[in-house]
Amino acid sequence: MLHTTDQRRPGAPAAQTRDVEVYAQAESMGRTYQQGSTLVPALATATCAVYPGDRIALVGPSGSGKSTLLHLLAGLDTPTSGTLIWPALGERATLRPLKVGFVFQAPSLLAPLTALENVALPLLLAGSTEREAEQQAQAMLEQIQLAEIADKLPEELSGGQAQRVAVARALVTRPALLLADEPTGQLDHATAQRLIDVVLAALNDTPTALVIATHDPLIAARLDHVWRMEHGVLGEDRVC
Amino acid sequence: MLITLWLKGLLTQRAGRLLGVLAGVALTVTLLVSLAAFIAFSAASMTQRAVADVPVDWQVQPAAGTNPQQIVAALNPAAPTTALEQVGYADVSGLAATTNGTVQTTGAGKVLGLDATYRQHFPTELRLLIGSLDGVLVAQQTAANLHITVGDQVTITRIGLPPAAVSVAGVVDLPNADSLFQAIGLPPGSAPQAPPDNVLILPSAQWHTLFDAQAAARPDTVRTQLHVRLAHDLPTDPGAAFSQVQGWARNLEARSAGTTLVGNNLAARLDSARADALYAQVLFLFLGLPGAVLAILLTLAVAAAGGERRRREQALLRTRGATTTQILRLAGLEAALIGGGGVALGLLAAYGVSRLLAEAGGLLGSTTLPWTVGFALLGLLLAGVVVLGPAWVQARETTVAAGRAVVGRADTPLWQRIYLDVILLALAALVFWQTAGTGYQVVLAPEGIPAASVAYETFLAPLCLWLGAGLLAMRLWRGILGRGRRLLAVILRPLSGRLAQVVAATLGRQRTLVVRGVVLVALACAFATSTAVFNTTYNAQARVDAELTNGADVAVTGSTAVPAGSKLDALRVLPGVGGITLLQHRYAYVGNDLQDLYGIDPAGISAATDMSNAFFVGKSAPATLAALTAQRDGVLVSQETVNDFQLNLGDQINLRLQNAADHQYHTVPFHLVGIVREFPTAPKDSFLVANAGYIAEQSGVAAEIVLIRTTADPAQVAEQARAVVAGLPGVTVRDIGATQRKISSSLTAVDLRGLTALELAFAVLLLAGATGLVPALGWAERRRTFAILAALGAKDRQLGAFIWSEGLLILLGGGIIGLALGFGVAQMLVTILTGVFDPPPETLAVPWTYLALLLGAAVLSTVLAVVSAQLAARRAVLVALRDI
Repeated sequence: MLHTTDQRRPGAPAAQTRDVEVYAQAESMGRTYQQGSTLVPALATATCAVYPGDRIALVGPSGSGKSTLLHLLAGLDTPTSGTLIWPALGERATLRPLKVGFVFQAPSLLAPLTALENVALPLLLAGSTEREAEQQAQAMLEQIQLAEIADKLPEELSGGQAQRVAVARALVTRPALLLADEPTGQLDHATAQRLIDVVLAALNDTPTALVIATHDPLIAARLDHVWRMEHGVLGEDRVC
Repeated sequence: MLITLWLKGLLTQRAGRLLGVLAGVALTVTLLVSLAAFIAFSAASMTQRAVADVPVDWQVQPAAGTNPQQIVAALNPAAPTTALEQVGYADVSGLAATTNGTVQTTGAGKVLGLDATYRQHFPTELRLLIGSLDGVLVAQQTAANLHITVGDQVTITRIGLPPAAVSVAGVVDLPNADSLFQAIGLPPGSAPQAPPDNVLILPSAQWHTLFDAQAAARPDTVRTQLHVRLAHDLPTDPGAAFSQVQGWARNLEARSAGTTLVGNNLAARLDSARADALYAQVLFLFLGLPGAVLAILLTLAVAAAGGERRRREQALLRTRGATTTQILRLAGLEAALIGGGGVALGLLAAYGVSRLLAEAGGLLGSTTLPWTVGFALLGLLLAGVVVLGPAWVQARETTVAAGRAVVGRADTPLWQRIYLDVILLALAALVFWQTAGTGYQVVLAPEGIPAASVAYETFLAPLCLWLGAGLLAMRLWRGILGRGRRLLAVILRPLSGRLAQVVAATLGRQRTLVVRGVVLVALACAFATSTAVFNTTYNAQARVDAELTNGADVAVTGSTAVPAGSKLDALRVLPGVGGITLLQHRYAYVGNDLQDLYGIDPAGISAATDMSNAFFVGKSAPATLAALTAQRDGVLVSQETVNDFQLNLGDQINLRLQNAADHQYHTVPFHLVGIVREFPTAPKDSFLVANAGYIAEQSGVAAEIVLIRTTADPAQVAEQARAVVAGLPGVTVRDIGATQRKISSSLTAVDLRGLTALELAFAVLLLAGATGLVPALGWAERRRTFAILAALGAKDRQLGAFIWSEGLLILLGGGIIGLALGFGVAQMLVTILTGVFDPPPETLAVPWTYLALLLGAAVLSTVLAVVSAQLAARRAVLVALRDI
């Protein structure tokens, strides 16, 4: 759990972090997509590390590569250049659903499942029994004060409620790393702040690291660190 | 600009959706147009066959005292004729001949006078057995009665004149004696007049020499007929051809001022053919329409699978400011693309099918053109309904989101609330019961009445059963998926493991989609099964019918004078002969009725020909034949004779049989041991079956017929048998295939092979579409769901649990219901169409190979759809994630 600011800072060389428990560590990582005969660089280069307990805001204009970086850190995608490892978490294939949680920008609840079933789903995918999964999901919904909508279908929820359920689903496995891709992007300001309240409260006093991509400077200000993306390059740490 | 952009987008980005619906439209058009072509082709071939088989089209009989030349003059303007012969008919008191020192005499007979050209114009009326056609001819039965042959003298006992002697030049068979000697002018429905037993045929000049004097003395005993062959340039439809020929006959009667009676053999044959054509039409519609309905449902389902995305696109257009007119114009463009392409493809495929299977001239004939145009318009309409319809409905909605829910707590649909499924099933039962009450008379074609009709309402029974059962299946599955999720989870647990409840919940809340898939598979499977089972049963019965007519795979038929049985040993050793038996064919008087009497070996006949239980009343075939074996003087009597003579089992019946030794009829006692409906080679109405040994004792040992069951191609065995009997004059050999092709009195002669092949191929396609294409398109539309699952960490196996569960539920749920429903519909069709079959089938014939192929196709398409959905879900995660 020991680290230095320099070591955590984007652009810091990976060699300096070998002796500490790093959740995710990227060095000169890039991702290029092929569209027809054209190569489109979504992420030019990123060197960074995520440590236990980190609260990081990932900011930058649309199309700067924030989502791509989060997808790569979550193991949803693989880099086309550079390296990406999860020293404290293990292999990429074992990251989800137990070690990494992900919250998407758009509504991502499974439409045919109730809120409770949606939250229980990662636990079931991880091998919990149905009873265990239901109990833990219920507890998580209570923790984020959504017990009353447990039996509602996604189409019966408001946008804010749906995102809170998505957060609950991401947190229910007590992941080491929680990645959120503009989770408040479709919410009004007040609702967005309440959602962040919920996330931070849920993570309070836990070693879970949090990386949130956001355009909202108020949200970024509430986190410990800010990573800035510009033209596919992860820049220096900067206080907003 | 917008239209060009939209069109480009459709073709490049939505090609799958476009092609799926287009294929559905094409399939519908192909099926319907091919069906119409088959109906037209079948009717035309029936007309051709009916016309070709008539020995003499018209037998025109002038009234007494009318000069035949006046009628000849009236004939040509009344009807187009190609041949005309004047035939003299003279009644005589009897015929006599002296052979081997004994004098044989007959009762009353007929002497015909024919010109030398008659046999060229009407070649099927006379068949030479021995001798020459130039000179006096004697009918085969008459020759047998008189013990005469070529060169013998026959004395004709003329009425009111001294006897006259003629010398026999040849012995002939009169294959169409019934029509040749028909009583012209009897009111419709009168009992047919039996042809005379004693017939002589004289050259016209000789006839006039002998009978002009009798005509003068006793004009009531001499008549003249004009035998006419008409130009056969008739409408292809038998009903229209019948009306035309009837019209010509009435015109002739009018032109000859009522001095003429027309024996309209051609119209009579067309009358029978039009009933058969209507039956064929009914059959084709019964078999084909469900396929067309299914193709339409499949098209709707394919279109609905992309409906959600279409709605989103439309909502986006509205958000960007597109007007309702613009949206509808774009949807209209898509509908036109799908409709135009689908109709063109469908017509092309139908043309290929009609050329390939029916050898029809095409789809543009006068009969088929209106149907072709109509079904092409239907294809365009279908495209409009599936594309333009939803766009129009949505454009009228106030919110984009309205009506989007395909998931969730859906309301009970209207049909379910009003119990439409139960109503349809009750209606099916009611119509079926009513049809049963009429003795399953689907086609009503009263003899002699121009207008035949089809009881189309009978269609309602299987149609309502099909639809009602489909809706009932929908109700049941909606119930199971809605309220029986625990049960479903238990069922799915082996496949889904700990995800069983979640999978069950997913299926339950998507029940609209899932149930649609299940019911579509059920209906497709039912269509395929019912079509295949019916066709197999139909073909089996067509063979039974042909075997009944022919007697066996191969029948060698001689006469009492020249029995085929004399070559039994030579025939027995022919390659390909699996079983062989002798069949005696005699005549016996029951009271005053002369009936066919068949002498059989009851213990051995089954080896040579099939003895169906349906042939006998009250007992099975083995039991009836055993009863005959046990009673040496036993006799099986036809149902009609039993009814006419009020007979009971065990009764003694005294028959009069002609003895081969003295050619006199003697009374022989028999005991009734069974009742028979049908028997190989026997006529439909009245006949008798007895032990050959007993008949041989009483009337001579000759066996006129040999029946052969083959283990090789019957045609080849028949060819070899012909070589064996080549030296026996008048002995004929027929194989079952030739008979099957020739039968025209029964609808089972209609060749359904083309339609069957088309139907069965379509059934496989439709089932593959229902089990594969529709779910695959549905999964493609839900790839976002699978992407979320994958993003949450679902492994391939877990992702597969969701897709496999749905795929197998659709396959098995629909397949099992479909199989049961298919057999039910097939049974109902066979029962309703009892009139088609002669005799009716005892059980359904099950096409196991086809059903296995069907199952294989369904499983394969499900597996392909599931696996491709799994692969696509995995591949598409990142693409889908960009939308999340």
